[in-house]
Amino acid sequence: MTVYSLYIFDRHCTCVYYQDWHRSKRPRPASSGGILPGVSNAISGLSDAQNAGQRSSITPGGGVVVAVGNGELDWPDTTTSMSALPFDEEVKLVYGIILSLKQMVKKMAVKDDTLVNYRTSTYKLHLYETMTGYKFVILSDPNAESLRFALRQLYTGPFLDYVVRNPLIAMDSKEQGIDNEHFRAATDRFIRGLSMYN
Amino acid sequence: MAIFALWVINKAGGLVYQRNFTDGLAPLSSNDALVLAGTLHGIHAITAKLSPTGSSSGCQVIESETFKLHILLTATGTKFVLLTSPAELQAQADSVLRRVYEAYADGVMKNPFQTPEMPIRSEGFDARVGAIVKPA
Repeated sequence: MTVYSLYIFDRHCTCVYYQDWHRSKRPRPASSGGILPGVSNAISGLSDAQNAGQRSSITPGGGVVVAVGNGELDWPDTTTSMSALPFDEEVKLVYGIILSLKQMVKKMAVKDDTLVNYRTSTYKLHLYETMTGYKFVILSDPNAESLRFALRQLYTGPFLDYVVRNPLIAMDSKEQGIDNEHFRAATDRFIRGLSMYN
Repeated sequence: MAIFALWVINKAGGLVYQRNFTDGLAPLSSNDALVLAGTLHGIHAITAKLSPTGSSSGCQVIESETFKLHILLTATGTKFVLLTSPAELQAQADSVLRRVYEAYADGVMKNPFQTPEMPIRSEGFDARVGAIVKPA
């Protein structure tokens, strides 16, 4: 059992955050302008140096190391096989599936209803949507139980603490992803702490 | 546990058979049902491309808060979709779909009056599907 990747979409249908763990098929880098800067260090169209200048977190100059190094977490391992899809295309497909399935479920259900998850032979996609229109999407092992509660905890925990309550992050900016080392580190800790992660 | 409906989608994404068993879903006009079947066909193809590891099948189960869709894709590209309550067991739904596929192979594919890929109008198939779903 494992967790593959996490996507966060804002209410404008754009991907504002991405992180992955056990993916053997990594997305190819996005074409420049395809995704917002800061969504993930690994697949941004911008170079890392350009990214570093726009960080919306104040990293302490020495002492306690809170930030997680880019190389450790986010750079794709070039030895693993690359997925055929560039990252910006992949994100559009993920959002497209969620949107179509949500509409489909809405049309078929008697009362208010929404997509919870779907499963294929190699992965399971879980969705949690907040009242503010943020969509938390996680791809996990197909045998995993519902991860909705975990996505909700991710929202009420790290997301509220490091993103919503962070005055340096422009929510709804349409220009910048969630580029915050504290959030990245907290999300990573949280996912690695899940009982089904190993 | 309840089975709400059964759809058969041909390899081009057209809805060729639709039958409702229990109430529990919103009533769909035949036009809406056709559109939804086409959407599902497209989504099924995209989900297979999104696999984070290795090559994947398309979506097999889709869950919402009030119902579940179980999808069986046959080797010839025909999709059997079973709409059930969320409590329906995976194994049970799979076995129903398998038996419906059998009934399809016998009652529809071997029927000389059936045009391939066209809507299924066969009393024999109707009766067999009814018998498969009822005791479940």
